[in-house]
Amino acid sequence: MGWFRKSNVKNKLKTNDNRSSENLSQTISKTIIKNKQVLRNIFQNCSDIVFHEITIHSQTKLLLIYVDGMVDTDIIISNILKPLMYDGLPQGLGTIDSVAQMCEEEHLSVLNTKKLSGFGDITNHILKGNLAILADKETTALLVDVKKFETRSIEEPANEPSLRGSRESFTENIRTNTTMLRRIIATPKLKIESVKTGKLTHTDIAISYIEGTVSRTVLNTVRERLNRIQTDGILESGNIEQFIEETHFSPFPQLLNSERPDVVAAGLLEGRVVILTNGSPTALIAPMTFWAGLQAPDDYSQRFIFITLVRWIRYVFTIISVLLPSLYIALTNFHPELIPPVLMLNIAILRENAPFPTVIEVLMMEIVFEGLQEAGIRLPKQIGPLVSIVGALVIGEAAVNAGIISAPVVIIVSTAGIASFIIPRYSFGFPMRMLRFPLLLLSGIFGIFGIAIGIIMIIIHLIHLNPFGASYLYPVSPFNKRDFKDVIIRWPRKLVKKGGNNA
Amino acid sequence: MKRVANLCFALLLLTVTTGCWNLKEPNQLSFVKGAGLGLTEDGKLEVSYLVVLPAALGGGQISGGENMETFRVMSATGKNVSDAMVNVQSKLSRKVFSGHRDIFLVGQRLAEHGMGETIDPFLRIPKSVMRSMIYVVKNGQPKDIFSIVPFFDQFITTSLSDEQKAMGLKPYLARKFVEDVLSEGKQPLVPVVGLNPSEHYSYAGSAIFNKDEDVKLVGFLNKKETSYARWITGGLTRITLTSHVPKGDGSISVTLDSLDQNIRVKKIHEQMQIAVHLTGKGTIIENTTKLDPTKQKDLQLIQEKLNQKNQKLILELIKNVQEEYKMDIFGFGEQVHQQYPHQWKTLKQNWPELFSQLDVSVKVDLQFTNLGQTNTSIYP
Repeated sequence: MGWFRKSNVKNKLKTNDNRSSENLSQTISKTIIKNKQVLRNIFQNCSDIVFHEITIHSQTKLLLIYVDGMVDTDIIISNILKPLMYDGLPQGLGTIDSVAQMCEEEHLSVLNTKKLSGFGDITNHILKGNLAILADKETTALLVDVKKFETRSIEEPANEPSLRGSRESFTENIRTNTTMLRRIIATPKLKIESVKTGKLTHTDIAISYIEGTVSRTVLNTVRERLNRIQTDGILESGNIEQFIEETHFSPFPQLLNSERPDVVAAGLLEGRVVILTNGSPTALIAPMTFWAGLQAPDDYSQRFIFITLVRWIRYVFTIISVLLPSLYIALTNFHPELIPPVLMLNIAILRENAPFPTVIEVLMMEIVFEGLQEAGIRLPKQIGPLVSIVGALVIGEAAVNAGIISAPVVIIVSTAGIASFIIPRYSFGFPMRMLRFPLLLLSGIFGIFGIAIGIIMIIIHLIHLNPFGASYLYPVSPFNKRDFKDVIIRWPRKLVKKGGNNA
Repeated sequence: MKRVANLCFALLLLTVTTGCWNLKEPNQLSFVKGAGLGLTEDGKLEVSYLVVLPAALGGGQISGGENMETFRVMSATGKNVSDAMVNVQSKLSRKVFSGHRDIFLVGQRLAEHGMGETIDPFLRIPKSVMRSMIYVVKNGQPKDIFSIVPFFDQFITTSLSDEQKAMGLKPYLARKFVEDVLSEGKQPLVPVVGLNPSEHYSYAGSAIFNKDEDVKLVGFLNKKETSYARWITGGLTRITLTSHVPKGDGSISVTLDSLDQNIRVKKIHEQMQIAVHLTGKGTIIENTTKLDPTKQKDLQLIQEKLNQKNQKLILELIKNVQEEYKMDIFGFGEQVHQQYPHQWKTLKQNWPELFSQLDVSVKVDLQFTNLGQTNTSIYP
């Protein structure tokens, strides 16, 4: 991914840099030959750019420029070339003397056309899939939108499955994505602002929000931070996330990401700002709250009793995933009187021949577990199951039988590991997994007091987190009675009073 | 960032260099399931521990544990409690850990000598748990009880802590004992275990202590008496009573399981009168009489008979305690304290004397439910 870093760019050939940037600031001149030469210079060594010159009725010269593979050649042929070459000038549109004039008045049977005269703009448009038509003796070029290229079709969301709800997920194409949003929220209040970022990639970014419900401060912060981005390339929405997040030194994600249009639409309806990035099937939702990280896509479509239970299970398991290993150390090593006598005795029995201190055991197992998890993600699908078999056998069974690790530690570490998977947002599971390690060390040194210190520090950090001007722990701190109810009980929708959400 | 890092480093150094690390792995501890205090024949204080041997308990990983003993009784004498405890510790390579102590035993000799002075430091060590059950060992030393190999459990202490519940008594914990000793109008009544010839223990009623005289053992109550006494103090959950019914020419047994008690103090001519009202609901479990409990008349007869019988027995017990031991194990003083707080201030000075002269009346009300289950005898 480091290819756009400055250090690498320096080593690139710099031969044409000055000349092409000089060219980009020029405007079109009257002679088509000259224009062609300038564009040829700009697109030097770009074999995918097609320059097609035609002469119509042996008098007007036209130059068509496009990126091969990014345009719909059918439309070019049937709507542009055919009428011009065979049918002559259109008769039904009043008096048109020349092809140049036709171009001037944008008389082509395609929807989206534009007239530009700067080479920079023209180049950008060509690269985004427009067809540029330059006519002789004309100082403007006609840009025709005939974009068509291969994209992935809409598929089921792979990372955020849900039992109930839409099966669509975003694709890499930003237009498809905005279309999906527009299809769900059919109101002119849904705004989709367009921004371009990346000095080289010119990535299309859309800021989407619902006028009236969106928080102005959040929207302005997002706009401002997006405009401040200074980089060569944006390849993924994650790159943007890093540029606009509140603080980098926090384990907690400050923007929610989702590949589901329904989740994004729900975010929009709640008054959040959505950032869509071309080339990335993941949308960013700002601001994020702690509790949003613990909500699943279908929380609001299932019946409330069940979801309330599930939510509480999530809360409990979140705590388990963060605290269980460190609590185990603190209780067995510092406060054994707090464990029920029979259980403590059983732990003591299993600890009898253990070669390592409990802290080291847990640390080792945690590291191995994280390793397994990482290995499972990167492996090809066919080898994936192998990891779990090897992991379960080697670590679960053999390590205990060989007396390297004591059995309770395996139980503790795997329970905590499984508990972190219950968190519906995968990215929100990271902080839980990460915070385990400092808490482990703290509990190994100070016992339960260490854990208390750790928890206090985490809570202080969470209260301090203020992404995009909205509190991270929102309904809890600052306290809001109405929204707080939603954290404890997912109240039936009919019984929830209507009103804007001020998240 | 650098300052934070420096601070963290300094904190880490602090923790390491001060040596204030109280981390103890479970295999650095010797778990004490039971502790005992006793006096040897030559009058030395003896502390004994039932120490668990985890390696012998096995548990999947460790093999060859079957033939090893699962516990060891360690005891040592000393000048005082701490000295004796240090002496036991010197025999153990792992630190004594009393956090999971189930049972606390006191030898009879020490109890008779007066144990206030010795038990106080023992129970008050912060690391000692007040949850342990306390027993007096009749005719023996704590280590004799600890050495018994139980048949249900791994340790005799587990059996002992289940014993009281099995007897229908509410658990008498060290905490309760301390509470009784510190109270003003109540004397401790501590459960007793005895050693029987078959090398096993048996529950043997309870011991009466005099808290005003260095918590000295003054006498014993048998099992039946203990149940009655506990009924009055509210420490009973279940009791089985058997009574001969002359009219039906047979005996009737009942099990009572919702027991209640009510002690009222009346002041008549500056004299305190205690009215004890005991109620119980239960089931007839055995009936060898000709009476049919399903008939209202017969049932009334049975109830009256049992009420009278038990009333008499309980009154006898109270009289006996009043005259022989003069120890207010029933907590009548507490009741007087609660109902006549002003008078109590003067009364409490010589309460033991007053207690022995108290006028006590007892009323027992029993009710039987589930009458259909046990009927008349099929042999008429």
